[in-house]
Amino acid sequence: MSALSDIGTPAATDAPMGRRRRRFLSMGGWELSLLVLLVVVTTGFGLVVPGFFDDVSGFLAMSSNFLPFGIVALGLSLVIFTGGIDLSVGATASLAAVVAAQLWATMGLNIWVASLLGLAMGGVLGAINAAVIVFLRIEPLIATLATSFIYTSAAVAVAGDSPPSGFPDAFNNMGSGALALGSFQFPYQLLLFIPLAVIFWLLVGRSAFGRKLVTVGYNSEAARYSGIRVPRVLAAAYVISGMMAALAGLVLSAYYSAARADMGDVLLLTTIAMVVLGGVSIFGGEGSMGGVIVAVLLLGLLRQGMLIAGFSDMVTSMLTGAILIGSIAIRNVFSTRVGGFGKRLLAFIRRPAAAGPDTNRHDAP
Amino acid sequence: MITARRMLVLAATATLAMASVVSAQTVDTSKRIKVAMVPKLVGLSVFKANQQGAEAAAKTLNIDFLYTGPVTASAQGQVDVFNSLIARKFDVITTTSNNPTQLAPALKRAMKQGIKVVSYDSDVAPDARDFFIQNTEYPAFGKALVDSVAKYIPADSEVAILSSTKDATIQNEWINALTAYMKTAYPKMKIVTTEYGQSDPSKSLTAGLNILQAHPNVAAIIAPDGASEVGAAAAVQKLGRTGKVFVTGCSNPDAIRQYVKAGVIKASPLWDEVKEGQLVMHVARLAANNALKPNDTFSVPGLGSYTVKDKVIIFSEPLIFTAENVDQYKF
Amino acid sequence: MPSRRRAVAPRFTMTRELTLVAVTVGLTVIVGLLNHDFVGAQNLRFMLLNSVVLSLVALGQTLVIAMRGIDLSVAPILGLAAMVCGLLAQTHGLSLAVALPLALCIGLVLGTINGVLVATMDIPPIVVTLGTYSLYSGLTFLYSDGTQVDAVPPTFAAFGNGRLFGIVPLPTPVVVLLVVLALCWYLLRHTGFGRAVLAVGNNAAAAYAAGLPVTWVRIRVYALSGTLAAFAGLMFLCYTGSATVTAGTGDHIELQSIAVSLIGGTAIAGGRGNLIGTVLGSLFLSVVLTALVFLHVPPIWYSAGEGLMILAAVQAGFGRRGARA
Repeated sequence: MSALSDIGTPAATDAPMGRRRRRFLSMGGWELSLLVLLVVVTTGFGLVVPGFFDDVSGFLAMSSNFLPFGIVALGLSLVIFTGGIDLSVGATASLAAVVAAQLWATMGLNIWVASLLGLAMGGVLGAINAAVIVFLRIEPLIATLATSFIYTSAAVAVAGDSPPSGFPDAFNNMGSGALALGSFQFPYQLLLFIPLAVIFWLLVGRSAFGRKLVTVGYNSEAARYSGIRVPRVLAAAYVISGMMAALAGLVLSAYYSAARADMGDVLLLTTIAMVVLGGVSIFGGEGSMGGVIVAVLLLGLLRQGMLIAGFSDMVTSMLTGAILIGSIAIRNVFSTRVGGFGKRLLAFIRRPAAAGPDTNRHDAP
Repeated sequence: MITARRMLVLAATATLAMASVVSAQTVDTSKRIKVAMVPKLVGLSVFKANQQGAEAAAKTLNIDFLYTGPVTASAQGQVDVFNSLIARKFDVITTTSNNPTQLAPALKRAMKQGIKVVSYDSDVAPDARDFFIQNTEYPAFGKALVDSVAKYIPADSEVAILSSTKDATIQNEWINALTAYMKTAYPKMKIVTTEYGQSDPSKSLTAGLNILQAHPNVAAIIAPDGASEVGAAAAVQKLGRTGKVFVTGCSNPDAIRQYVKAGVIKASPLWDEVKEGQLVMHVARLAANNALKPNDTFSVPGLGSYTVKDKVIIFSEPLIFTAENVDQYKF
Repeated sequence: MPSRRRAVAPRFTMTRELTLVAVTVGLTVIVGLLNHDFVGAQNLRFMLLNSVVLSLVALGQTLVIAMRGIDLSVAPILGLAAMVCGLLAQTHGLSLAVALPLALCIGLVLGTINGVLVATMDIPPIVVTLGTYSLYSGLTFLYSDGTQVDAVPPTFAAFGNGRLFGIVPLPTPVVVLLVVLALCWYLLRHTGFGRAVLAVGNNAAAAYAAGLPVTWVRIRVYALSGTLAAFAGLMFLCYTGSATVTAGTGDHIELQSIAVSLIGGTAIAGGRGNLIGTVLGSLFLSVVLTALVFLHVPPIWYSAGEGLMILAAVQAGFGRRGARA
């Protein structure tokens, strides 16, 4: 089981020295490649595409167009680490946003109080997901698909014929405003995203909870036998995912200064792509938060850059799809970590049988 | 980048010659401008018809024309496209909105950069555009929808509505208008159900089948959405209720031709989408020239004269397609 | 880990099917008592017909899931096949006899691309098919050039709505579905290929060690799924008589097909595939959606009703997880 010697997997956690070394190596691996790619893409667009990098403020302002995806990606990563999936993030974002907006519009609640309640709503929706998965023992994929249908109905019902819009400017600023430091403009969305990214990075990479999360994803039975309360870990992951989706929904409604029942629909597929490109194994138990954060910036800036360069939405989506496949393919060819050619080769040279159970782990949906 | 600029300059000088011919009209076309047309999504025939008209008009108006839009009918997709157009320094953005509220901030950003915004078909918030070209007046269209079926069914019939989505602005306006008109003109008529086809042909078909099965006494389906009229008509045909249930809505003639000929649709109101595209480009040109005031009149060769009232331009009266005239229109 | 996946005795899958039949019939009878039109011949016929396209897609999806894979790209493959055949028929008078092999070829090629990427590059299937989802929908847009299919020739419409040779008591699409189901069932239950699919789904490494051509099996299953999706696209075109660029993707038929596969008793962890259950699951969904209309449930709650029914159906039987957590 060569995967057990990889970073972020349970075996690594019982050897602190080794863990530190391997974590460092991991930053030098996939995450670093993504980082290099990000730099290449950014400078490339900056040099070739007029309007992409006119000044620092304008460049940073672009992040407001894709950071809601990043916020969802942070939460969704936790779920995917556990080997699950949350297909309800889009519906959760929409429902939380319209609930908050209606509380503000019809009940006359302060917009920030309404937002906090929206955020709590996201947590509740996540808890419902977790309950369905843990108590009814239904696969996360089908459980969250079903709850997403239910949340969608609820969002449409709450939104009504003419959903609220025209929020106070202070709230709208969270989505599209920027902190002025002299002539320099720093977008509030980025101001929100950076600490969140750091928190999630620490949570997964440096906390006991992060290790439990990864252990559950790697092998939930082993996790259970080693005394981890698996349902509790799962519940935490889905609740956090729900809250981050709700936060993204709120940021989107600030960005649009309007809340709509179909607002979150676009989030799901792009966000999964970001998490997977970031190097998180879709089967759980592997990956790092750093990779996800870089992937968010990479896919976001890539799309913005291509659109500004004059590519149509269609071509942009197609190329994003190709890049997703291509980069994971390249990683697999060169990686010794995920059952790719390189690994097979190494495994063959070292001990032919080692590839066995591991290959098996990586062919699930 | 350099070659692209050089080509632009070349194109501009080449069209100057043409512009001098056109300038015989009142419109000043001396400066070449970049105008984008952003539909709700690329891939629907009605928007393609707008594009056809717009592209032809753009040639005579010295306009660099771009037709671009999202691949799904989402506000996010449209906003992404707007942002890129702002960065590329377009002169005018023309758009039909997926919903009125969500697009407002992005379009306001565009206006702040000096870009003119012209909405057509489906409006955005009034303070987020310079002009709005409304297809037809809402009451007129509501009346046309009701009249298109009411003539063929008993006065006390049950009627069903098949709309796109619950919060579709323009559909809701039409439904309000047609309900009001029905109350006064056909007081005994009753709307028994309102279903939604999500602007998707197969969902509209299923919804149409469901309406007819669950409400067997329905004598007419009013489907004020491109996809849902086709879905409702197909449902009537599949259930063999042709001649007993009549359908109307606002699809393009190509989409409904077979149903008009089969008698499922007796009359179906719309407007000339190709000509509307032409008007959009003319208004875009005038807006870019700062030659149009919020309350104004202007005339377009080949289209007629128009009045601007509170920045709103009514494009035309409803154009009713029937078995007699449907073959004259190809879009 | 591998020990937790076992082949399941046929007894259980039979129970799954009986459960679904019972639930579907029960629902039909209850709603029929409340509204007699629900059990009218015409409505029953349409509930059957409405499930055909989804069933065809879901049969392929079931095979993929049984092999411990997933195929999200079925939606755009359906859309592309419908668009290509529809536009060619509309503008160039393409005949059904040519459209059928054309659609199958499109599906075969696109499905094979998925299969090759999954099997030879070792990329997780969800990643591959998420990527090809964008690529194939893009192709549909490119090909359509912003237009849509509004009408199909009479032969197409007859294939999608009529009766086979005018005499068979069932609508053509239903007959076609039964034939496809029989073929797939035979393939999965009674051929070496079928056993290989289940073996790979159960434990790919063991299957490889046992000498099965794992890579080749995987490619073939994705190719088959693509082919079935494209065939469903042609059926969609013939049945609805129209196609737009969002055909398939607009309905999220990829998620629907996964849902009915799991409702039908196919295990997401692989190694178990229940094709008859899949078709019954799809019929169940069609009955649920129609019942909501007949019960005069407000349209906004249709989606919630569907979600609840999926949970109920999965909970009722073997769609749930195995020993995890």
